[in-house]
Amino acid sequence: MKAGAGHDTGHTPGRGRVLVVDDEMHLRLYIAAVFETAGYETAMARDGDEGFRKASEWKPDLVSLDLMMPNQGGIRLFQRLKADEELKRAGVLVVSAIGGEAFRHSLSLVRTGSGGLLPDVDGYVEKPPAPEALLREAARILEARGAQAEGTLAQDVDAGL
Amino acid sequence: MSALPRILLVDDEEGIRKVLGLSLADRGFKVHTAENAEKALALFRELKPPIVLTDIKMPGMDGLELLRTIKAEIRSSGDHDAEVILITGHGDIGLAIQGIKLDATDFVTKPISDDALDIALARAKERLDMRRAIREHTQGLERLVEQKTRELLAAERLAAVGQTVAGLSHAIKNLASGLEGSIFLLGKGLELDRRTYLEQGWEMLKANVEKIKNLSLEMLRFAKPEDLKPAPCDPALPAREVTELLQLKAKAAGVELSLAAPENMAPVVLDAEVLHRCLMNLVGNALDACQAAGFGPETPGGRARLTVEPQPGGGVRYSVSDNGCGLTEEAKSRLFTAFFSTKGEGGSGLGLMTTKKIVEAHGGSIAVASANGTGTTFSIVIPGRGELSR
Repeated sequence: MKAGAGHDTGHTPGRGRVLVVDDEMHLRLYIAAVFETAGYETAMARDGDEGFRKASEWKPDLVSLDLMMPNQGGIRLFQRLKADEELKRAGVLVVSAIGGEAFRHSLSLVRTGSGGLLPDVDGYVEKPPAPEALLREAARILEARGAQAEGTLAQDVDAGL
Repeated sequence: MSALPRILLVDDEEGIRKVLGLSLADRGFKVHTAENAEKALALFRELKPPIVLTDIKMPGMDGLELLRTIKAEIRSSGDHDAEVILITGHGDIGLAIQGIKLDATDFVTKPISDDALDIALARAKERLDMRRAIREHTQGLERLVEQKTRELLAAERLAAVGQTVAGLSHAIKNLASGLEGSIFLLGKGLELDRRTYLEQGWEMLKANVEKIKNLSLEMLRFAKPEDLKPAPCDPALPAREVTELLQLKAKAAGVELSLAAPENMAPVVLDAEVLHRCLMNLVGNALDACQAAGFGPETPGGRARLTVEPQPGGGVRYSVSDNGCGLTEEAKSRLFTAFFSTKGEGGSGLGLMTTKKIVEAHGGSIAVASANGTGTTFSIVIPGRGELSR
């Protein structure tokens, strides 16, 4: 196993925890399998409510987030995660059929509404998600988070728990 | 009016026809004369003069009767307009007033003074001009409304096409995601020799191929203009078939599916086969709504009821009620648009739209009543009299 750098294959078996939130069972299974086979631990949730509960219990390093879901959509879950002292450390990767432009627009509206307190999402992959794109974005996000938490070593120790 | 406006002069006295005829010709009219009302009417129909000048007292049909007939013909014709001026004898003021009530332009009293004649003719021309102007204005307005309506319809159709394409693109993106997922899972399953991945990938592949098949079938059905083959039939028949066909599916969903239809209903002219499809769609939706509300084989209590009732005028009403999850206001407003579905992965978003199309092709209507969380009722009304819009 290589110590992953963002620019190579993107397969960073950082053994981090990824919470996959999507209302469609097939996509949930698929995205979870992509992370699982790349060495991540995974958990799944069906909507924003369940996603928040699982995140509180399980403390993921990364949340793969669908936007259009019944009961609490993805943007609302994103807001709740970022408002939580502990959970805001998790990276958020949006995986959605909504085009990137439309998504950024609606997010900027929500951010304006929140008085600029809401940060940008960490990454974005449009559906249908290619396995490489998911892994590349995830590795990039986790690496940036790790660097923020002072050094990749510290992250490896954390993630190894 | 053209260079030589026509005028029809009707009087049984030859002298008056001659003198008044000359006087009118002198004023620039092309004068036609008749010695009685019957002949006048024939000439009026043939020459369509805009002004008729007639004596009241004549043997046979009198001037008032001629006036009444002419006004009635003008009203029903629409393209021929005329003014009728009455000629009255001395002391015939009562008849003259009767004439005005019958919409005569004016009356001139014998012996006819030039001034009185000029005033009457001017008034006739004025009234003709005014009515023509109003007619033209109205037609202009109608043309304008028609043109604006056409433009609006075109714009609406374009918007509908845009919406449809956007919806279709979303549906295809979801299918592509499913297929991408299947490929990935099958690949990893083979690579790692993991049976779970192989099974998941295989199920996903089958499910998505099924979805593609359904989507293309429904799109085809939707795109094809519904070719109705209406015939008089027992309107309860398609309802009975659908209730029987869906009985098993209902049981599996923990739903009690019932039918209320009177025996020996009067026949209604409809296409039983396509209506069968509509009812399958509505009852299928009702079962899905019950499942979404949490009913199932382990948790029974779902209810779906199909009711058939005769309508006044020989039509029929079908209603499908359920105690399922109900619809939000937003869902209700978008229910009949293409590719809108409340069922997530399960729905193509074409079923209700197709149903509505079929019902409307029968000259009927479809309505929905629902509150989120308390169930839904769809009703279809097919009108009687066997009149179909197509």
